[in-house]
This record gives sequence, structure tokens and C-alpha cells, in this order.
Amino acid sequence: MSDNSPTSGKQLVTMTVNGEQTEVAIEPRRVLLDVLRHDVGLTGSKKVCEMGDCGACTVHLDGAPVYSCLVLGIECAGKKVDTIEGLAKGNQLDPIQQAFIDHDAFQCGFCTSGQIMSLKALFEDSPKPSDEQIVTAVSGNLCRCGAYQNIVKAAQAVRDEAKPETRNDD
Amino acid sequence: MKAFSYSPAPTAAEASNEKDSRAEFFAGGTDLLTRMKLNIVSPDALIDLKSADLPNGVSEQNGGLTIGALTTLRDIEQSELIAEKFPVLAQAAALAATPQIRNRATVAGNLLQRPRCWYYRNRHVDCWLKGGSDCPAATGQNQQHAIFDQSPCKAVHTSDLAPALVALNARVKVRGADGERELSIEDFFAPPTEDRRRETTLADDDVVLSIELPSDASHSVYLKAMDRKVWAFALVSVAAIKSAEGWAVVLGGVANNPVRLGPLEKALENTDASDHNALDKQHDKAFADAEPLEHNGYKVTLAKRLIRRAIEQLSD
Amino acid sequence: MTIKTPEIESSKNDGDIELSLPLQQDLTDWQTGHEFTVVGKPHSRLEGAEKVTGRAQYSADVRLSGQLYGAVLRCPHPHAKLISIDTSEAEALPGVHAVISQNDQFDIDWYSEEAPLFSDQLRFVGDEVAAVAAVSTEVAADALRLIKVNYEPLPFVTDMDQALADDAPAIHDGDNRVEEDSEYERGDCAAGLQQADITVENEYRTQTALHTALEAHGATAHWSGDELIVYESTQGVHAIHGLLCEKLGLPMNKVRVIEQHMGGGFGAKQTLWKPTLFAALLSRKAGRPVQLLLDREGENLATGNRNSTLQQVKLGASNDGKLTAIKMTCRINAGAYATAGEASNVAGIFQHLYHCENVKTSQVRVYTNTGPAVAFRAPGYVEACFALESAMDELAHKLEIDPLELRRINYTGRDQTGDKPWSSPDGLKTCYERLDEEFGWSQRKAPSSEGSIRRGYGLAAHEWMAGMGNPPAAVFIKLNTDGSADVVTGTQDIGTGTRTVLAQVAAEAIGLPMESVRLLLGDTAIGGVAPVSQGSFTVPTLAPAVRGAGENLRRQILEAAALLLETDATTLEIKDGEIVSTEGKHKSLTVADVCDELAPQSLQAHGSRRANPTDTTIRPFGALAAEVAVDTQTGEITVIRIVNAPDCGRILNSKTANSQVIGGVTQGIGFALTEERMVDHNIGLVLNADLEEYKIPTVADIPTITHAEVNLPDLNANNTGAKGLGELPLIPAAPAILNAIFDATGLRFTQLPINRARVLAALQAQQETAE
Ligand SMILES: Cc1cc2nc3c(=O)[nH]c(=O)nc-3n(C[C@H](O)[C@H](O)[C@H](O)COP(=O)(O)OP(=O)(O)OC[C@H]3O[C@@H](n4cnc5c(N)ncnc54)[C@H](O)[C@@H]3O)c2cc1C
Ligand code: SF4
Ligand code: FES
Ligand code: FES
Repeated sequence: MSDNSPTSGKQLVTMTVNGEQTEVAIEPRRVLLDVLRHDVGLTGSKKVCEMGDCGACTVHLDGAPVYSCLVLGIECAGKKVDTIEGLAKGNQLDPIQQAFIDHDAFQCGFCTSGQIMSLKALFEDSPKPSDEQIVTAVSGNLCRCGAYQNIVKAAQAVRDEAKPETRNDD
Repeated sequence: MKAFSYSPAPTAAEASNEKDSRAEFFAGGTDLLTRMKLNIVSPDALIDLKSADLPNGVSEQNGGLTIGALTTLRDIEQSELIAEKFPVLAQAAALAATPQIRNRATVAGNLLQRPRCWYYRNRHVDCWLKGGSDCPAATGQNQQHAIFDQSPCKAVHTSDLAPALVALNARVKVRGADGERELSIEDFFAPPTEDRRRETTLADDDVVLSIELPSDASHSVYLKAMDRKVWAFALVSVAAIKSAEGWAVVLGGVANNPVRLGPLEKALENTDASDHNALDKQHDKAFADAEPLEHNGYKVTLAKRLIRRAIEQLSD
Repeated sequence: MTIKTPEIESSKNDGDIELSLPLQQDLTDWQTGHEFTVVGKPHSRLEGAEKVTGRAQYSADVRLSGQLYGAVLRCPHPHAKLISIDTSEAEALPGVHAVISQNDQFDIDWYSEEAPLFSDQLRFVGDEVAAVAAVSTEVAADALRLIKVNYEPLPFVTDMDQALADDAPAIHDGDNRVEEDSEYERGDCAAGLQQADITVENEYRTQTALHTALEAHGATAHWSGDELIVYESTQGVHAIHGLLCEKLGLPMNKVRVIEQHMGGGFGAKQTLWKPTLFAALLSRKAGRPVQLLLDREGENLATGNRNSTLQQVKLGASNDGKLTAIKMTCRINAGAYATAGEASNVAGIFQHLYHCENVKTSQVRVYTNTGPAVAFRAPGYVEACFALESAMDELAHKLEIDPLELRRINYTGRDQTGDKPWSSPDGLKTCYERLDEEFGWSQRKAPSSEGSIRRGYGLAAHEWMAGMGNPPAAVFIKLNTDGSADVVTGTQDIGTGTRTVLAQVAAEAIGLPMESVRLLLGDTAIGGVAPVSQGSFTVPTLAPAVRGAGENLRRQILEAAALLLETDATTLEIKDGEIVSTEGKHKSLTVADVCDELAPQSLQAHGSRRANPTDTTIRPFGALAAEVAVDTQTGEITVIRIVNAPDCGRILNSKTANSQVIGGVTQGIGFALTEERMVDHNIGLVLNADLEEYKIPTVADIPTITHAEVNLPDLNANNTGAKGLGELPLIPAAPAILNAIFDATGLRFTQLPINRARVLAALQAQQETAE
């Protein structure tokens, strides 16, 4: 941009999305969720309430789970954003993803990427979480299909199988 | 959301200077963005405070504690210092909102969040607090509204930290047009008035720098009653502290601002907490001036019982 | 080895070629005890990997080149006349490509009342006024703000009781009754009440509940020449197809509806809503694809709801617990319009669940200035089960008969309205047995108290008027030249596991391993007609047709194998893709080998859903018990444990069946305790068109939920023995919880939901009367 005064027009913003430097031209009012879904082309994070009420849009911002519908894209300049699409390595599923399949931790699947991202953050912090920590980790992720019981079971299975050294480093 | 410009502020001073009535300070954005999406506020510019030199995090200072304005609820929830010395605050933070919100929500933003009154949040309603002439909640669906009459607005303050910080006699450090100043949290909060339709006394260009906690409150508790087990705003909450100086009992979810039950605090000094009858009497006094609305009488009962439970827990 | 390729008469559609093996009609062999290799197994969902990686493409994830984004302008008044609308500024905004409104004068009507698509009579907050398409969602929102509408607010009524007052404003012409009262009587109800030793009588109110699928309604519409392609979030691709053709006046071969995954519907997506049509009209006007997805506000205001009800219930019984009369009068809040789809049958359960000779029911729908109601997972039954089963609990309490025993005393194995037996007359009885076993009902402790906490137990039973499935459904299976199979259906998987379950049935019927079967669905251009996934219809409609097609294909494979092996086809079977003798001996021949020999010819088979029997009524049933704790100080309710025993016939996949059970029960907990659409009747606005104050259960609100499998194949129903399950678990959840609350506290609630405000008010009143 030629002049320094802030503008409401589009600006170039660079962030690291799933490990890749990504440049987007966005208006300041575009929220991170829309940046991901429309400018980056990653539609795994879902738009449901846009008000921080449901968790379907959960991504990691500099490692911490946040609602991407309540983050501006423009404030992510220079930051690290991780989404559901970055979890599997090729077709090698993350253990949480596999456990979700094995324990039928979803029906329609619309809340699933958010649930998994919340749990991923938990397991990165504490590979052996208590049941209470598991419930707290997904307490901001609504599931209308009511898969909660199996979501918790899937997380417990990951925990009970995780040896301390299998902690994922990325 | 209407279009706006965005600028990261380098310092609190510059943020304060830059601020005019068409701009908004932006911290975690978890409250501001929801109001902007509903077109309740439509600023032309956002001034991001996260880049400014505001204190961030929790540190011990002259026997008390400083919590930087940008400290997140998650930082508070996870601080061992706070868990040990100010359990009431740690519990309040942990019970607020959801993990994802707590990762973004700042303590200053939490105190400055605007009401969740469902009329206020409905963009078709031009209610008193938004500059209109009357309050539809007073005669409408007021299940969640105030039982203490503090202003023409019946909305309750939904911050969980606020009652805890009031109970803790916190002080708020602010940077305004005339430089830095400090005010007590009781002076920081004030019910809205005809000319100042918001819940605090901050000037438009005041930047909150930090929250100062004078002394420990290791014997303290925060209880929150919700319609769900997690992720709901408080129907009623209570922050209670027992210390050498006596009791502190502050209610959330019952008025525009947190409500300190001063006479009850005093009475508790001379009341045996296990004497339910005596307690009930004190309660009845404390709520004598409550004015429940058509649908929220239950809050009086709920508040009394939460207080009783808090007192019991601290008397063990 | 060279053999003569058998003649496959592909012209005969149902594969009805003269073969020595049994025809589809005779498929009665899937009895209890039949050994299955795939059916009934807990197979994981076929689309699992797509869903957990974020790769599954929902309607909102479609990205077409040049795609525009739509948004809807809604009426902010509960009742208004639209005087004028000026869209010129919106149209002039850079980035806006199309605006549609009343000014376009579309000749399209909507709802059962045949209101114009864009009407100048606006009858609820959220009624659609205009729609725009622009280069981004942000610009579309800007455009909406530039549309100038001049409304004349009209007198309104949003409360159902007030709508029937003499001076209530008329929402349509007339007295705000949607239709004449629908009456039913058998026996002599008045006499039955006279005979009774004891009666219970109460007025029950159920709230307006919102479906709240996480994926909002919406579609991506794209015109390719004169052909319209729509990616829709729907419970019925064929229904949308038909309705779009009708509304747009297009032949069916010019419209194609596609949906591979959908983010929940629960009834609200069983019919066409305006936004999909808007997307098509905007796309035609703009000449570019348009994606129009509702925001949460629009979703909660204008895409249906579970109608609130007021039910007056009176039961009469003799001292030994036998019901002598059941009387129910009910008012239903239809909202501003009547919508198509599954009807809300409140009266049904009163007529059917218990043996009773004297039954009288009456129900009527009432217009109000609120969003139109539409079927929501077991419409009518969820509302009615709360009332009936609360009343039964009260009766049991008064008679001092165990609630389960009272239900057994009033058992019926017959359809008393059609005067014929249920297809599985012991279905409900078996539910009771399984519930008793798994919950330990008979051994349950007395209600207990510890400090301020009271614990109690409650149960409820139900039947469900749907879940039988119906023709038509057409299925086509194509055997690929490598021995794998593509099963082509016209159904959809709304998250219930249809894809997986039908693939299991196909694999079992043909004799292939699951890996060799692909199930295709969700595309009207490919799959034959199939019903809307409503009324727990999908499995009992599609599975028998899939089985029929699979069996036909198996017969053809065996005939070919017999020629190859120079033996009689009746001596052969297919197991796991291999040809074996009926004694199980391997024949060193696989299905793939047979295909290889047949190439370049390939086998294919059709199957279709046969009519239901007429001498019996197909019915699923269920029973549910709950253990609940109530904190009598703070009014906090904690559901501790729920066991649900639904009779859905044969369980085709225990894993997805379990998910249906825990999911339905979870929704029932929300209906019982927290969910309620709030309206301010003074100003007519909906106050919680969001996910903040419309409170669905969270992970922490859920108890341990156990599915007590009943698994009673109902071969009177169809050749798979399976009936619908989707709606069952939700029906009895609320009354069982409420009955448990009564057991714990002695408080009988007659209005849902039972939130803190109501519990505390009742506890307070109870204490005051005790003092
Ligand atoms: C889904 C949801 C659930 C919630 N549940 C709860 C709950 O249970 N309990 C609870 O307590 N809260 C709850 N909240 C509110 C939440 O905690 C607040 O939104 C949050 O704390 C605000 O902080 P923020 O940093 O995001 O503020 P922002 O949204 O950035 O700002 C809020 C306001 O404060 C101003 N502001 C922010 N920082 C400063 C500063 N340093 N100086 C001057 N002005 C400033 C802004 O201009 C703005 O007006 C919930 C919010 C959501 C969205
Ligand atoms: S309570 Fe306050 S915010 Fe709510 S409608 Fe009344 S004035 Fe507005
Ligand atoms: S879409 Fe972000 S929390 Fe619901
Ligand atoms: S799986 Fe459908 S919302 Fe969670």
C-alpha cells in the first residue's frame, strides 16, 4: 500500500497455515474462518453460528484452540494457524481421527473437525488427560447429533493407548 | 459487519490518543466482534491493543498481584499463583465461557463486555441502553434479568471475573488522556445513567492497563448457577471470601453491576455459619430491597442458597 | 477353461429371469438365528475418513468458478404489509450481481396456503423479503443494508391461546384455525370415564423447539445451459428435485440435486425452503453459480420448528390399573403457515400405545405470527409422549402400582384403530424386558436423599406411527468386471449411517466382503426414486430393495458359476466373494473369476421396494428409564443414567444404531431441560434465534446412555426384518426424566422445559405448602 493510513480495503496478509506460508488479500473485516474457507480453500472448519457459541470453527492459533469466527484474518499476520486439514499426514490419520472412526464419535460430521481440533490441543498439552479434562476440552463444541458419549470414549481410547513418548511433535 | 480499518497500536498512549468515538479498542475480540456482527456497534476503525505495550500476564508486586489487561482468562485459570492465593478468581475464570473463548478473552475485555440481554442483542430492538426510550425487558421476557433495580436498564453484568474482583477489592489501572491513574473496582463499575449508557465509568479513550489485587484471599470460593453444566452465562453467581478482616460476599447475575452485600458481610462476622435460622434472617435482610421482575423471582431464592452454600464451604 | 456366457436378460428390470433360485418375494430366511457375515456387525462408517479429515464436502463447501454468495433480507415485524421495496442502491453496489424481490413478480407460490414467493403480506419475524447475490458474503450483507423497505406494521398475535380469542387479529382469513378439529373416538369415552374408579387429569404444555442442525439450510445452485444443478443440504434429494421442477416449471431431466454429506436435519430439511429457490433464481439472473446459506438467525427464525402444544389429558382406570378411558384435546401452534411433510400427530400415541376401549382425541392447529412449524424428529409423538406418560406415571403413583407393571397391565399387541395385529405383537413387551434387565428397574432402590440431593427413577414407553418404510424405492447394482459392486440408490445419508448400513445389506445379499461394495447415493441424476429420510423411513424402505437387488445379483452370479463349474446352481453359495458349495467347500472360483470369464459382458440387477402387508400394522416401539438427581437447594438437575430399549426390528449395524440411541436421547435431554424458543408476545420478536440462548445440551449435560438392544427381527414388515430407529430414542426421554424428577422430589411438572427457574419456583411452592 502506498499510504500509511489504515484502510478498510483489501490488504496482503501472510500467515502460516498448516505449516505453509500463505498470503491472502483480505479486508480487515474478514474473519479467519472465512479466510480459511474462501481465500485459502480449506473448508474443513465449519461455519455454524459465527458468534462463538458452537465450536465448529475451532482451529489452533499459535497452538491454542480458538473460534476462528471470532478472530480477524488481519490479526493473524505472522501467526501460525492449524486446521483439521493439517492433522493427517497424507492418508495417515492422527490417532484422534482414527479413534473417532472406531468409536463412531460423529453422525453428520459437521461438528467433528472442531471436536477433533479441541482434543488435539488437549493431547498436545497433556497426553494423559483425566476424564474431566477431556470433557472440559470439548465443552465449547456443540454436537446436535448428540455424539458426545462416543466423542469422550474416543478421547479416552486415545489416552489409554498413548504411551508417554508417542506425543506428537509438530 | 460493516467495513472498518484496522491498526495495531504500538503503545497504550498512542492507542488512547488515536481513539475517537468512531473507533473501538480491540483485544480478544470475543465480545466486540459479536456486537459488530449484530450491528449493535459499527466502528470505522479498530485499534488492536494486543500489539501495544500493555502489561500481560500475572506477576507478584508488593505483596499483591498485578494482572495485565491483556492476560487471558486461560492464563488466569492456569496460574498457580492465582489458584493458590485467589481461588475465587481462578474458579471464576475456569467457569467462564468455553476453552476456546478463554484462550482469547482478556481480563480487561471481560470487565468491559456488554450485556447479553436478549433485547440488547436483537438488532431490531432500540432499547434504552442503546439510546432508545424504554426497556422492553422490564415488562417482557425477563427470566435472566436484574433483581436489583440500579437503573432504567434491567440487564445483568455477565462477567464472571467481575464479582470475584469486586470481592477482592481490586484496583484498575488506566491510561487516559491525562496519563495514568488508578481507581477502585467499585468506582470502575457504575450502573448506566441517562448520559452514560454503559456499565463502567471509563472515558472513551481510557485504556485499561492492569488489575491490581491488594492482598491474598486463599480462603475464597466462586459458585455459578447455570441452566447447563458448562458454557452458559450465570443465572446467579457468588464470590465469597473469608479472611482475617472478615467476609466478602458479592453477587453476579443480579444487577447491572456486581452487588456487594455489605450488611450481610458485617452480620456474618457475628453469625454462626451453621445456624441456618440466623443465616436465613440475614439473607432476608440482604434481599429486602430486591425487586424481582415478573419472571425472575427464582433468582432471589437461588442467590440466597448459593450464598449459604458458599458460606458453608468456607466455614468448614 | 472356456464356457458359454449365460444370457442375462437385462431388459427385464427386476432381474426376474427364469432362474432356479428363489425370487425376491420369497425372502423370509433372515430369521433370528440366521448366520450373517456382514449384517448386524458394528461396521464403521464408510465416510468416516472423509469426515474426520475435514475433506467431506457439504453443500457449503462447494466451490464453483465464478461462484457468488447469497443473503436474505427478512421482515423485522411479526405482521406487516409491505408497501414498497427499493433495491436500486443495492443493485448499484459494486460486487452485487443480482437482487430479487417482489419487484420481480415471480409467478411462484409457497406453503400450503399458496402465498406468493415474495408476498406483500409478511406474517412472521424472519419472513423473506428479498435476496441478493454478490462476490462475497460481506458484500452481500452490505447490499442487504442498502435495500429500502417501507412496511406498514399490522396487529399481530404470537401466542397460541391469544390467537384463538375472538378479537385476535386474523393471520390469514378466518379464525386462525388451520383446519377443522381432527376428531377421533372409539368406544364411549364419557362412559369409560364414568366407569373409572380413579381418574387423573392435567393440562400439559410443550415448548416450541428448534431443530438446530449445525449445518444451516442452504444450497449452491448452478445453471449449466438450461440445466439446473443444485447442491443442497436436504433429507430428500428426490423431494427437492420434484419441488424445484414444480416451482420453476422445469422438466425433471433438466434439474439435478446432489448431496453427498449433510450436517443434520432432524426433520427441518425434509422439504424445499425458499432459500434454495432463491439460489436458483439468483443464479439464473446473475448468470453465475450462487451459494446461499442461511445464517443462524435465519435458520432459527424461518426453517421450521417443533410446534408448541397445549394438551388436556384425562385418564380413567379401574382399581386394578386397567385403563377405562383416554381423553386428549390438543392445540398445536402451527406458526404463520402450514408446511408440507410429516404431520405432527399428537393424538396418535393416545390412540395406540395402551389397550383401551374408550378413547377420544381431538387436535387442531392454530396460526400465530411466528415461524412455520415443520416435522421435528417424531413430530407430535415427542410432545404427546410427555403428556401421556406423565399422566400414566401419576396414575401408577395414585394406584400404588409399579409404573412398569401398570404399562404391562395395559398392554396391547394390536392396532386398535385399524383392528389388526401389530407386525411384531411382542415388540413392546420385549422392550420392557430388556429395559428391566439393563436398567434394573425392578431392583431399583427407593428414591433417596443425601444432603440437599434427591435421587429418583422414572420411565416411559412409546410406539411410533412411522418407521415402517413404504414403496417406492428402486435400487440398481452393477457388478464391475473385477467382481466389486456399485450399489446405486437415490437415497441420502443424513448422518444416520445409511451409506454403511445399505452397503452391509448389499454385501450380505450378494455374498461380497464390505470392501467390495460401494454404495452410491445423493444424486438424483444417478439414483432411482427414494423417499425423504423422514419418519425413520430410510432403512426399512431402502434395505429391502437393496436386499432384493443383491439377491437377484447373487442368483445371476451363481447361475454363471454353475455353468463354469458345470454343476447345478442350487448346490452353490457365495461367501466373502468366493464360490463355495452349500456345504461350505471351496470351489477355487471367486466372484472376480466369474466376472473375468463374463467380460466384456457384466452382470447387473435391480430391486424395488414391495408394498407393505395389509393384514398387519408395522410399528416400532420403545421404552426408556432414567435416573436423575435434583439439588433441592439450587434447583440443579443432573441426569445420571439412561437406558433405552427401542424395538427397531433387526439391528443392521450395532455401532450406528448405538449412535442413533445416544443421539436421540441427548436431544431428549435438551427438550426436557433447556431448549425453548423464546418470544416476546408484547413486541412479537423471537429473542433467542441463536445458539447462545437456545441451549442445546453440551458434553457435560449427558449421563451414561445405554442402548439395551432388543434386536427382534420383524419379518412381517419386510425381508430384512428392520424397522426405523431414527426417531425412537427421542420420544420417551423427556417424560422418563420428568417422572424421575417426580420420584425424587414429589414435584409433577406439566410444562417443558424444566429449567432452573421452573424447578426453583416449584420447590419454593412445595416448601411453602409444607410449612
Ligand atoms: C460464547 C461466549 C460465551 C461467554 N461466556 C462467558 C461467561 O460465561 N462468563 C464471562 O465472564 N464471560 C463470558 N463471555 C464473555 C467473554 O469473556 C468476553 O467476551 C471477553 O472476556 C472479552 O474479552 P476480549 O478480550 O475478547 O474483549 P474484546 O471483545 O476485544 O473487547 C470487549 C470490550 O472491551 C474493550 N476493551 C478491551 N480491552 C480493553 C482495554 N485494555 N482497555 C479499554 N478497553 C478495552 C473493547 O473496546 C470492547 O468494547 C462469553 C463470550 C462468548 C462469546
Ligand atoms: S435490560 Fe437494558 S439492555 Fe435489556 S432491553 Fe432493557 S435497557 Fe436494553
Ligand atoms: S461458528 Fe465459530 S463458534 Fe460457531
Ligand atoms: S456429528 Fe452432527 S453435530 Fe456433531
